[in-house]
Amino acid sequence: MGILPQIIANSIIAGAIYALIALGFNLIYRTTKFFNLAHGALTVVGGYAMFFLYKQLEWNIYASALVSVLFTGGAGYMLDKLVFRRLRNRGASQMVFLIAALGLLTVIQAIIAILFTSQFQTLADSAMQQQIYDIFGGIITQTQAIIAILGVMILVGITWMLKYTMFGRAINAVSDDEEVAKMVGIHTNKIIGWVFFIGSAIAGLSGILVGFDTGLEPTMGMSLLMKGVIAAIIGGIGTMHGAFAGAFLLGFAENFGVWQFSGEWKDAIAFIILIIFLLFRPKGIFKR
Amino acid sequence: MPYLIHIAILFFIYAILGVSLNLVVGYAGLLSVAHAAFYGIGAYVTAIALTQYGINFFVSVLLGMLLSGIVSLLVGMVFSKFRDDYYALASLGFNVIVFSIFLNWESMTKGPLGIPGVGKPTVFGYEIASNGTFLLLAIALFALVYMVATKIDGSSFGRVLKAIREDEQALEVFGYRVEYFKLAIFVIGAAMASVAGSLFASYITYVDPSSFSLNESIFILAIVIMGGLGSIRGTLAGALFLVLLPEALRFVGLPTDIAAQSRQVIYGAILVLLMVYRPRGFVGEYELK
Repeated sequence: MGILPQIIANSIIAGAIYALIALGFNLIYRTTKFFNLAHGALTVVGGYAMFFLYKQLEWNIYASALVSVLFTGGAGYMLDKLVFRRLRNRGASQMVFLIAALGLLTVIQAIIAILFTSQFQTLADSAMQQQIYDIFGGIITQTQAIIAILGVMILVGITWMLKYTMFGRAINAVSDDEEVAKMVGIHTNKIIGWVFFIGSAIAGLSGILVGFDTGLEPTMGMSLLMKGVIAAIIGGIGTMHGAFAGAFLLGFAENFGVWQFSGEWKDAIAFIILIIFLLFRPKGIFKR
Repeated sequence: MPYLIHIAILFFIYAILGVSLNLVVGYAGLLSVAHAAFYGIGAYVTAIALTQYGINFFVSVLLGMLLSGIVSLLVGMVFSKFRDDYYALASLGFNVIVFSIFLNWESMTKGPLGIPGVGKPTVFGYEIASNGTFLLLAIALFALVYMVATKIDGSSFGRVLKAIREDEQALEVFGYRVEYFKLAIFVIGAAMASVAGSLFASYITYVDPSSFSLNESIFILAIVIMGGLGSIRGTLAGALFLVLLPEALRFVGLPTDIAAQSRQVIYGAILVLLMVYRPRGFVGEYELK
């Protein structure tokens, strides 16, 4: 019995991180209808921007977090403007988008590795003793609590935005039918640009949180993205609450799997869950 | 001269990988990002067969092809249900899994330490020890792969594959079992990649998981895309360029680790720029839309 609360606590933390990545990914997928594999690289951009400002320039933690998140959002916006928008305007096929995204992922990872070396870095202060919470016998650190809370807040925020703001309705219109949206006078490229900004900013935030929680590596983007995408798919791609449910399902499945087998097979477990869903319930838990 | 031979051997290994991936991506239109996984299976089979069991190199090549073939058959049957982005994602995930197996199945693969001391091939008691003779072996195996690829290119099988790429539904209407064709080319491609892996293991005499990561798959994809989908000659040009690239970077005087990262920046950027400005690649016949 003793270990169970801890596994549940770990599952919730993992789920919250995956949820953040899945939310950003989903938001972009909803409007553009392609798997933005470069999304993973943006978590790395966010994490390392924070590392640069907070650790190397020793800025205040809130200022560095804010600037890093905005910077990542801007980076995502530029990727769309410089690459994806051109492909969209040409009416490029899925394959072209995917290859371009893989290329971007490769470039960004390598640039970060050149700038900051491939060494493992952490954002957390070693001197700073983290506040630890004991919840029914499971131990959660302060960073982890922040991750969980932010995840919920962003989910609520985005759902609210999509439902009740003019901008959110425009996003819905574009995701339903880009051509018609254009006809009724929605500036689709502008909307999609903003979606990239917001989705990437969330990715940047999750990169920062991962940096505090476990640490940063230039190659971490790919595995984080995988988890985010798997969460998005098993939850029901394109639905926000689905991404959330999928993320926690994945978090729980992984951590209970690790408990039963061993830590190295985490990625394998995630992938097998994806395959099972794709084969038997390809639309995910919540169909859109 | 020894340096040139080294480059030439690397070129033929990547040429095998490029040509075989081109069959999958360029002919059948399946965006597979899992080629390094089959490359790795070949390399590990050869490494383990030679160091643990003292099996002849050529037998190990066949064993590697067999294992890659079986794995790709099973995986391909699952993948055949997916299309476009789901296919790419599933193949990408598969590469991650195989990589983690190389890394974590320590009793078999020695994990991150890798397997050193892989022997050289022997033919009728004669050991192919020098790099010069190894180059001949690489050329011979490449020639085999090349012949099979051109054979497929000219056959009705190849024409059906290209037709699938152009319009899958039309072919289904004509009564072709599209998924069997896709599966067949996926298995053939995987078996060819395994040959390249066997060559690599015996040539470098050392295998470790880092050579078979997702980045390697993207690198092989870059070879294919650069040369142009569906063009075997284009793939050779792409392989030549991308194999020479890191050497050129080192020549310019970049330190080795920076050179490795710069290589990644360049081939990643090539992928992006080609997609934006010239999606058919440099000599490709097939216009990616």
